[in-house]
Amino acid sequence: MAAALLERLGLALVTMIIIVVVVFFALELMPGDACSVNLGRGASDSMLAACQKRLGLDQPPLWRFAAWAGDILTGDLGISMQRERPIAEIVGWRLRNTLILAGVTAAIGIPLALGLGVLAGLNPDGPLDMTISGIAIFAMTVPEFISGTLMILLFSVILGWAAGVVTIGYKAPALDLLKASILPAATLIFILAAHILRMVRASVIEVMQSDFVQMARLKGVPRRRMILHHVVPNTLLPAISIIGLTMAWLLGGVVIVESVFNFPGLGRLAVDAVADQDLPLVQAIALLFGFIYVLTNLGADLLALTLNPRLRARRR
Amino acid sequence: MKFKSHTQRVAMPFVVFMTLASAADADTILRRANDLSFGGSESLDPISATRFYEVNDLIYSRLIRQDETGRPAPELAQSWTANETATEWTLTLQPGVTFHDGSAFDAADVQFTLERVKDPALESPVTDVLGLIEAVDVIDPMTAKIRLSTPHAGLPLLLMDYRVRMLPEGAAAPFGVGTGPFMLDSYDPESTTILNANTAYWEGAPKLDRIEFTAIPDSEARNQAMLGGQIDYNGLTRDQEPLYTGNTDFTVQSYPAGGWFGIAFQSNQPPLDDPRIRKALRIAVDRAEMLALMSGEGNGIVSCDTPVMASDPFRANLDCPQDIAGAKALLAEAGYPDGIDIEVFTADLEPGMVQYAEVYQQQVAEAGIRVKLTVAPSDGYWDDIWLKKNAVTSWGQRPADQFLNEAYRSGAAWNESHFASAAFDTLLDQARSTLDLEKARSLYVQAQEILFNEGGTLIAYQENGRRVMSSRVTGIAPQDEDHIRWHLVGMTP
Repeated sequence: MAAALLERLGLALVTMIIIVVVVFFALELMPGDACSVNLGRGASDSMLAACQKRLGLDQPPLWRFAAWAGDILTGDLGISMQRERPIAEIVGWRLRNTLILAGVTAAIGIPLALGLGVLAGLNPDGPLDMTISGIAIFAMTVPEFISGTLMILLFSVILGWAAGVVTIGYKAPALDLLKASILPAATLIFILAAHILRMVRASVIEVMQSDFVQMARLKGVPRRRMILHHVVPNTLLPAISIIGLTMAWLLGGVVIVESVFNFPGLGRLAVDAVADQDLPLVQAIALLFGFIYVLTNLGADLLALTLNPRLRARRR
Repeated sequence: MKFKSHTQRVAMPFVVFMTLASAADADTILRRANDLSFGGSESLDPISATRFYEVNDLIYSRLIRQDETGRPAPELAQSWTANETATEWTLTLQPGVTFHDGSAFDAADVQFTLERVKDPALESPVTDVLGLIEAVDVIDPMTAKIRLSTPHAGLPLLLMDYRVRMLPEGAAAPFGVGTGPFMLDSYDPESTTILNANTAYWEGAPKLDRIEFTAIPDSEARNQAMLGGQIDYNGLTRDQEPLYTGNTDFTVQSYPAGGWFGIAFQSNQPPLDDPRIRKALRIAVDRAEMLALMSGEGNGIVSCDTPVMASDPFRANLDCPQDIAGAKALLAEAGYPDGIDIEVFTADLEPGMVQYAEVYQQQVAEAGIRVKLTVAPSDGYWDDIWLKKNAVTSWGQRPADQFLNEAYRSGAAWNESHFASAAFDTLLDQARSTLDLEKARSLYVQAQEILFNEGGTLIAYQENGRRVMSSRVTGIAPQDEDHIRWHLVGMTP
């Protein structure tokens, strides 16, 4: 158990180091540097030189990488060029807001997906399954920027039930953001739940045909008890890793959904930072997304490891 | 599809989520969006490179503004006179004007505001416009004298610049105190900025109680907020316009503006150093068709390669229909009877920049001009391609004198076509020292005729600006924002 745990943690650490290297050198390969990109068309030579000196861009790349990586270790993400404030401060609020959005999405989306997946899997090809699976396939194929825009059109413009676009600021109280996150979260749940429930459904169908379920059925275990005690626990395990992957996918989803709904989170900040040509901020957000991705998957793996005695045993 | 009005929606459940609509019913509030074009570094310093101009327009005033025809009209300066050589300008100020903090506006404020433009530490882009101001003398509290380092008969036009707004003497960051119709209440460009009516405004109390700006950087999200009644006033793109046509909840306006795309041909590189070839490259274009294709019929004005906007009193309104035969003749005369190969670069930096070059390529093919079109990477386009190659370019509006000097005078830093004409430069110099507006106009027109005959930059049209407003908004004419008198803007209940 301990060895498996250490191996998994080590792997995550190596991945994060690779992310740091790739993020830095990918931006290094782009034409121009943070200063020429940010100052753009109106840059005079003296402004450019002053900016490069201020950011230390006149130093060789390897030296700058060492300095940057060292700062990250101490939690210093640098200074935003456009906003002229520490990146950690800018990113902090947005990270909180995105976590609120992701939290609402997960808290509603995951139980919903599990429930619907089990329901569909228990009656494969029945009318209930056809409806659930049909909607899920539809949800998976419609991109977020379309489903999000349709949500606004339906619930805000036509029905007038909810404010379509989020108009509160990034420093708003968490409770206000919780309320504001309803439509964006619904858009994310639509897709997230579809992916998970398809997986759960397949898994339920498989478990239902397994020997131990046949055995339980022959022994006359009541259907309700059999499903709750034998089928569901065994479908949850494969679901955990797909939930982990889907939650990580959510990071890409928030970039689009937050822009569509003007939600003041990390995803919208990423789009803004790219639009503002604020390379240090882009770098920091790319890094953060990478780390969150690794940590989410690590969390899912560790959870699966704890819940599944077979996985633990095999590694010994 | 029926869109519900704002009042209907307020009656619906979930009203708690409407954070901005919940204020007291009696207040009339105009809600606008901030597109965060400076990514949160929006500044209340009117001459900052990252000025928050939508807010600055409301809290500060200019000395001189434009009337409906684009000519100088009094604002904080009641009247102005120049000496014979146009090197000294005496301004008589509007008495009885107070800043939001209660202090009186006088000539010392004019001196402070105009002289700080030259402060090298500020690196203000306005230095390019008003750098010629040597000093400002306070003659008496209501009289200021501006001394110029070079003659400029068009100083009143320069003072109409939307950034030249009066600050109280000694103003410093974060700024925000002016003489305008609205006063700053709270300021946070990345979330919400609130302005309250200045009831003591010298032209009369504003009709609106408040104006609020909410940060919505994404153009589509702003559009959704507009459709959903969360904001009352917004810019509009061509693609978004059909969403509002025929809907009585909204008013759509198209108004003359000065932005344009063009192609800057490098006049110093053979074979384009021959003016006949440059002219052939430009007259082969069907400008009216290009305008209709790119911007929609009636959403702009054809330009015969003048950068100057329609509402500018110094614009040359020439006639320049497509002339395929003339282009062929010019090419043959210049030694290219079988047509010519030209390379043009563009980049997907702004919507339309690539299409502009594609339409050009199609239109001029008939005249034997074979365009090799290269779409360059957006990153580094202004560094690596612009000013060096034949390139699609994009400009925002400027007054005639500023435009012609900035983009066409021999050796100017942003002379993107490397055009050099002694006759052109002389005309600009003469115009600058001609105090008679009509005489100055004829000189500027002559200069623009030179551009049409010899210049290197194709400018097919100036595109109109578009805005959409809630139909409850009153007092905004279809003209650009410089013309809006915000204290007269209201909202019907």
